[in-house]
Order: sequence, then C-alpha cells, then structure tokens
Amino acid sequence: MLPSDVDRNPMMRISSQSVVPRDITDEFTQASSKLRTGQLVKDEYFTLFEAVGALEIMDSKMDSGYLGPGENDAQALEDDYDTTRELAPEQVLGVMDELLCHEMAWHMGHPLSQTVFTSLYLDKLLWPVPKSIEDAHFCRPRSSENKEEPALVNLVLRAYCLALIKCCDFVHARVTTEYYYEEEDFVTQLYNRSLLSQFDHEYFCNLLDRAISWLDEQGDSINEKVKEAIRCRLLFRREFFLALDQDIDVLESRSTDHFSFCLSQQALLTESTPLGVPVPESFSWKIQRKLASTIPPRPVVKISFEDALAHLKRLCQDAIDLMEVLHYRGPHNLKAAVWTLLSRKPQPSVYIRSLIQTMIVNNMTVLGSVSVKQFLYDELAELVLPSSTLLLANKDETEVPSDPRFQIANHMDLFVKRFAQPFVDTFRSACLNRCRIRRTVCHTLVEWDNLQMEAEDLDEQLRTLNSEPPLMLQNGDATYSYPLSSWAYHQKLNQFRLIIQLGFELSIYSPEELPGMYWYLSHICSTHLGHIDRIRTFIVATAKRNLTALAGKKREAVERHASLQNSLRLLERLTTQIVAVDAFAIALHALYVLLARHNILPTASSAQAYSSERLRYELRMKPFIPITLPELVPYEEYRREAILEGDSDEIVLERATKAISEARKAWEATLANGPFIRETQSQANPAPAIDEDWKKDIRNTMRACIGASIAIETVKKALAARGSSKNASTGVNLTVSIPEMGSKLRWHDWWIVPQVSQSQEPSKA
Amino acid sequence: MSHDATPTAVSAAPSPPSDLRYIRYDGSREDEYVAAMRQLISKDLSEPYSIYVYRYFLYQWGDLCFMAMDDTLPDPMVGVVVSKLEPHRGGPLRGYIAMLAVREEHRGRGIATKLVRMAIDAMIARDADEIALETEITNTAAIKLYERLGFLRSKRLHRYYLNGNSAYRLVLYLKEGVGSMRTAFDPYGPPADARAEMSGPLPAPPPALLHGNGN
Repeated sequence: MLPSDVDRNPMMRISSQSVVPRDITDEFTQASSKLRTGQLVKDEYFTLFEAVGALEIMDSKMDSGYLGPGENDAQALEDDYDTTRELAPEQVLGVMDELLCHEMAWHMGHPLSQTVFTSLYLDKLLWPVPKSIEDAHFCRPRSSENKEEPALVNLVLRAYCLALIKCCDFVHARVTTEYYYEEEDFVTQLYNRSLLSQFDHEYFCNLLDRAISWLDEQGDSINEKVKEAIRCRLLFRREFFLALDQDIDVLESRSTDHFSFCLSQQALLTESTPLGVPVPESFSWKIQRKLASTIPPRPVVKISFEDALAHLKRLCQDAIDLMEVLHYRGPHNLKAAVWTLLSRKPQPSVYIRSLIQTMIVNNMTVLGSVSVKQFLYDELAELVLPSSTLLLANKDETEVPSDPRFQIANHMDLFVKRFAQPFVDTFRSACLNRCRIRRTVCHTLVEWDNLQMEAEDLDEQLRTLNSEPPLMLQNGDATYSYPLSSWAYHQKLNQFRLIIQLGFELSIYSPEELPGMYWYLSHICSTHLGHIDRIRTFIVATAKRNLTALAGKKREAVERHASLQNSLRLLERLTTQIVAVDAFAIALHALYVLLARHNILPTASSAQAYSSERLRYELRMKPFIPITLPELVPYEEYRREAILEGDSDEIVLERATKAISEARKAWEATLANGPFIRETQSQANPAPAIDEDWKKDIRNTMRACIGASIAIETVKKALAARGSSKNASTGVNLTVSIPEMGSKLRWHDWWIVPQVSQSQEPSKA
Repeated sequence: MSHDATPTAVSAAPSPPSDLRYIRYDGSREDEYVAAMRQLISKDLSEPYSIYVYRYFLYQWGDLCFMAMDDTLPDPMVGVVVSKLEPHRGGPLRGYIAMLAVREEHRGRGIATKLVRMAIDAMIARDADEIALETEITNTAAIKLYERLGFLRSKRLHRYYLNGNSAYRLVLYLKEGVGSMRTAFDPYGPPADARAEMSGPLPAPPPALLHGNGN
C-alpha cells in the first residue's frame, strides 16, 4: 500500500489544531486482512455513481499511470517530434487541415484531449503555460544561439495555431456561460490548460496579417497552388476568428460579413486539401498522459476533412441565418423563428445554440432591445389582453396606494416577477438538445400547472380592481375572462402537444401505442381549441363594447379596435394550425385503429409480457399524472376512445377519410398563412431563410398527409375486397410497416404514417 | 449499463435449451464467478467497469444476479444478468437491470430472455414496484427483448454512453399506482445537486455509463 499522502502533499495537511494525525497503516492492514473476498465495506451514502467512478490501479484501461510490459516513462510520456523542424509548404497545409478536423470534432462534442490537444505543436504553445504571448512558441525554451527559424513554421503555422486556440477560447467561453449538458452537448474540460484567454485578440489578428504578408512576399520558392491554399486558410482563420470574436456583439453590429466570408472559402478549402501532405508524427495520443485528467489515454478522434467542413459550413450558415431572429417583431414571431431555426437537421451546433440562448435573454433584455417585462406584456397583448388597462397601469403615474390603478400595477408587477423567467425559458428550452427539450418540458409542465393556479388568484383580484364586466352565460351565470390564467393554460397546452410530438420524433412509442398516442394528441388539440374559443369569446365581447366609441371615430377607440382585431387574427391563425394537427391526428388514430383491429399492426410486447396495457398506459401518462388541468383521462375512457369501441370498420374508415381531407385543407391554409404575423402585406420578408425552412416543414407534413390518404385508401380497398369475398373470416390481405426515423418514407418526424401494402400471400386470421 | 444480447423471437421459441444450467450467484464463489462475468461483460465495453462496480451489485444484491452455465465448456459461463433493487428517490421500490450479456456464439437461443425473466421474477418476489434500465438505441436486439417483456421506452438520453451513442430508458411498471407514487422530489426535475432548470451551466454529470440513474 502507498504511504500516507500527507507528507508528499503538504497542501493536504489538515491545519485544525483539534485533529491529530495518526498512522493507521497497521490497523488498516489488519482490518482488511479479515475481509472475505468480495466483501464490500461502505457507508450507506456510497452510491453506484461512486462505484462507477472508482479506478482500478494497474488496469491499462483505467489507470492513467499504467505502463505496459517493457514500456518506460520516457517512451510513455515523450514524443521525439521536433516542433522546430522545417516543414515543406505541403506539410504545413496538411497540419492545418488536420487541426481543423480536430477543432470541428471538439465542436461536435468530443473532448479536447482526444482532438485539438493531440497536436504536438499546440502542446508546445500551451505548456508550460505561457506568461506572455511570445512565450507561446514552438522553440521552448528559446535557444540563445541565433539560429534562423523557418518562417513557414514559426510564423505561418504558429499564427494559424495560436488563432485556432483563441477561436476555441471564444467558443468555450460562450458555451460555458449558457445552459448546456456536459458530455451530452459539449466537453468543457481544459485539463488545467488555458486557451490563451488572457491575451488580447489584436495580437492574433496582427500575427495572421503578418503571416499573410510574408506569404505574399515569397516568390517562386513555394508552389503557387500550395501558396494560394495556405493563404486561403490564413484568411479563413482570420475571418473565423473575427466572427467568433464578434460573438453577441452581433446584436449591435448586425454584421454577418465574417461568417459569410468563411462560407465563401469552403469551395477553395475543399479543392485544395488534396495538396496537403499529412504529418502524422506531429500528433500524439500520448499527450493525454500529461493532461490533468484521471482518465487513461483514449483513442484520438478522427473525422474526415469532408465532415469537418460540413460541420463548419452549417455553423456559418446557421450563424448567418440567426440574424433573421434578431429583428424583434413580437413574441409570436420570435417563437416561430427560434423553433424553426433550432429544429434544423442536423440540429445547430452547441455554439450556435448557446449564442441564441444569450440573445434570447441577456441582462433581463430580450434580443438586446426589449425588456423582459415588455416582452411578457407584448405576449399578453397579442393573445389575451389587447389594449387592456391592466397592461397600462403604472406606479410612476399613480402614486396613491388606494388608487385601483396603483393596486393593479402592484399585482401586475407580481405577475411579471413570477412569470417572466418561466416564459422566457419556453424560448430558451428550444436551444437544448432534442432529448433534453422533451425532458425539460415534462418538468416545466408541472411548474406551469402551479403558475396557472397562481395566475387565477391574480385574475380574481384584478377583475375586481378593473371592474371587468362579466359575460352572461345562457343559464344566467356570470363568467369572467381570467386573462392571465387563460394565457398560462394556453402555454401549458402547447407544452402538452410538444411532449407528445417530440415523443414521435424521438421514437419513444411502440407501434401498438400509436393509435392511443394519436388519439391523445387529438384530445389535447380539441381541449386547446375549446380554450382558444373561450379566449376569443371575451375579445369579441370587448370589441362589441368598443363599437359605440368606434362609431364616434375616437382615436383611442380606433387604436383599440386595431389591436383587438390583431388578437383575433392571431387566435384564428393558432386555430387553423391546431385544427390541422387535430385533423391529422384523428385520421392517423382511425387508420391505426383499423390496423390494430385486423391484427396487422406490428406489436413490440408479447403475450408473455409482465405488464398489462393498463400499466403501460400509466407509465406513458406519467408526465401528465400530477397535472390538474386538463385532467388525466382515466384508463377505461382512454381505452374506449383509443380503440373506437363500438364503431364499425365503416364508421372508422369514414372518420379517417373525412379527417385526412380536412387535415390537408388545414395544412394548406397554415402554409398560406406563413410562419409570421406581418404588419403589412407589402412589407419585404425580413426572414427569408427561416421562412423557407418553416415552409419546407409544412410541406413535409403535407406529404405525410398524402401518404396517410393513400394508406387509408389501401385499407379501404382491402376491407371492401374481404367484405365482398365469400369467406369474410380470413384476415385482411395487407402488410404494414412503420417507417423508422430518418427513412425516406418517414416524411415528417412528428407524423408516423404506416406503409400499408398488399401482401403477397393471403394472411391467416 | 451494458446490455448485450441478441435474442431471436422468444415468443416463437420460449423455452431455451435445456442443456444449460441457470444458477443464482453465490458470494462464496466470487473468485470463480466474477472473473468469468467480467470477461463476458467487458468484451462489449470500450471502458470496463472497475471491480467495485461488480462488488457494489453482487455484495448487496447477489440474489438478483443469475448465470447461464454450459458445463460442457472449459469456461462454462455463457450468460449473466446483474441487477439491484432499492427505493427510488424515497419512492417506489425500483429494480434496475445493470448488465446483461450472453456469449456471442450462444446468442439467439433465448438465454438472455430467460436470465432477465429470472431477475424480474426475483424482484417481483421481493415486492418490486417497477424496473428500469438503459440500453443503446442501436442495440435493437436488447430493446426488442425488453419490449417483448412489456417494457416501454420512457425517454431518450442524448449521447449517454462514452462512445457518443444515445440511450433509451426502458421502464416496466409492475403494480398500479406506481406513476403517482410520491418521490422525494419531482421526477422530471433536475438532479438534487444541480441548480434550477435553465438557470445556467450544469456541473459535469457523473460518468456516462450510468449518469443520473439507478442511484
């Protein structure tokens, strides 16, 4: 056993006077000799996590200090690569391109230790930690003899390497200030090295400029094509550096020049990479042994230059299109833009997602220009409180505490305090990885359920202060608008729908769950539609009350009329979209019911399963069980609805046919509406790229609709054929397959349309 | 954790070959069993588990570990399942299937299914409320095996494993009312040691093999 650590590591010495250290080696040895093999001594807080974190000494895969037989320290740690050696221009090119691959692999989520930090050139620059930027050099220690240094390496390659490290620093800084998941999205570990964060950006730019000038001065000594290729990489690096240096300052500059330039260099980079000659000995996995890490060296991550460039290209394009999000045009439009951009496939990289998170909210300001309070008020004005006095109350103007307006302002401040963050988070959650979005929304659903109840209390107090006139129901009861809780409920229903639909996207549901899940989706949609109708009823009533004033052409009344109409238009737009989802869900539900009835729907569970359908339903509904509203559908009711109990095949077919044709119309109407509310029709589209992505998504949905129509027709024919044949007891002559995510026939992530085709052999019942 | 099994249609051939001996782990023979077990399981792992991981399970829940032995072979162990059972966050009694492996040349004979059934039966006998596990999304054989037994995919875990692959969490409820059993805190909430959702960067989670689960 090792001696006590205390002497070797004075930092660990316990300084408290009351603790007197005592050598327990003998006692420990004696006690451990009494243990049986396999016996575990642990306290009750020793968890599986800790067991997994344990390392086994002398196991080559776990012990970072382990040397194999015949290996010695020098061989294990040192590489005999000379970073001061001369390189041919082609080799410099080769090293640059391999470094770019490593940089992109790191962006993709691999650790620095297995990517960028495997370069011996970078190792030389970063270790020992340079005190000045001049220290960061390939010749360390700097030789006193005035040996002429090869400029291609010591100027050109060094400039490229230093700027690359600084680029990593910018990315690291942005990602770590935002919400990300370590290892899932990104590995932030720096292994006790610094990414030159203390050095000013100007130095790097100057160095790159010097390298470019030097290169331009070289005559025929370097092959023209190779020279051009190196030049193109230096230029690219400078612009990429500037683009990342700009970071969130883009909110001010609104400039995409640097990223656009990087994008424009892609073709040149691709064309010229074959000119490079790799220098594999300048990369080493052994450097990992010198990094501050408990993990033994792992294989170097190799990605192709093609994949690296593809990643880079997407990063630049996403960064450019991100500009379309920045122009504030109200919460509805922002939501459409953010979700569309972040639903791109592949999902925008973690850097872009972090950047968007910061832009959405930073220092309590949305997009760098709108206060969080104003943002929330804009949302309320768009949906539930157009031109309401609740949003005008202001304590600066009304200072008498007994004044109802003062009290309204007080209540609204409370509301803002409580709701602003959760509301902004509904935007920021789009920036998480797709799995985390679903998990996060399952969590926030519970929070919004509570928020809705709190909002209801506020609503009741506000309507007294505001003297809200009630609406009279037909039975003579009075009812009130409950604007804040109505809005919270609307948010919650959006989240319900998102959880269900992301479940389809993430391939969570087994085939036999599909009828039930599409039924449940339509159930949530119809609940939502009913809720939007309620909101609309109150806005229409307000609009009616405004009519008299409007007739008098009072300016205020005209303005009020306009904002009421805007809200009604938005509600109409939301209705169209939810009707589209609802109708499609109804159609797929009915289609799947028929497939299940005739035993042609594949099933994942067997008759010997340990769980019943009831237990599986309970598990599936777990995120919704704690929610008060909408209430959980009891299993018996769910089952009746999910199998359309009591409805004949004809009725179910009719239902599917009608619904799918309604769905196609509603999706067409949705497409025609476009993603954004526009103030005037003539206005130029301020977000063409996102607009196009959104439309592509809707068109894919429409393709899925057509696919579903065809499947319904196929089932219809097969059922009719069976009905007309003499022997109706035989099974339906169809085969069904469920297209996996990513397959060509899966037109849309959220719409699983079964492939239904005629079987070759008649199936037996 | 590790789930490597490539069963064939179990429903079609529910009875595994009778020449195999299925036994429960016996702590007094750890030297013999654990070495064989580690060899069987490590084969499919890029990063092996330390001996503590095995002991963590076997010392506390050795009775939930089952092995398939083919006595005609010099190394008779051809399959193994390792599990645990304890209250989950102060709520339901949750079984967790940590490792499942069947030697490659013995796959496709229903051995994995038989082993998992033995583990589940033992957990039921000890009044388990639910059973959970994770498996790589590319491991369709294991997913099918568990789904046939009635497990559902409850969530997908992004880049869960060290090799960058994602996982599904598979869950089986054994009793009614498990979904509404109270746990010490919100099951969808962030881990107890993390900051509130979305409030800033999270600290590094535990190693990718197991993070956030089973403990």
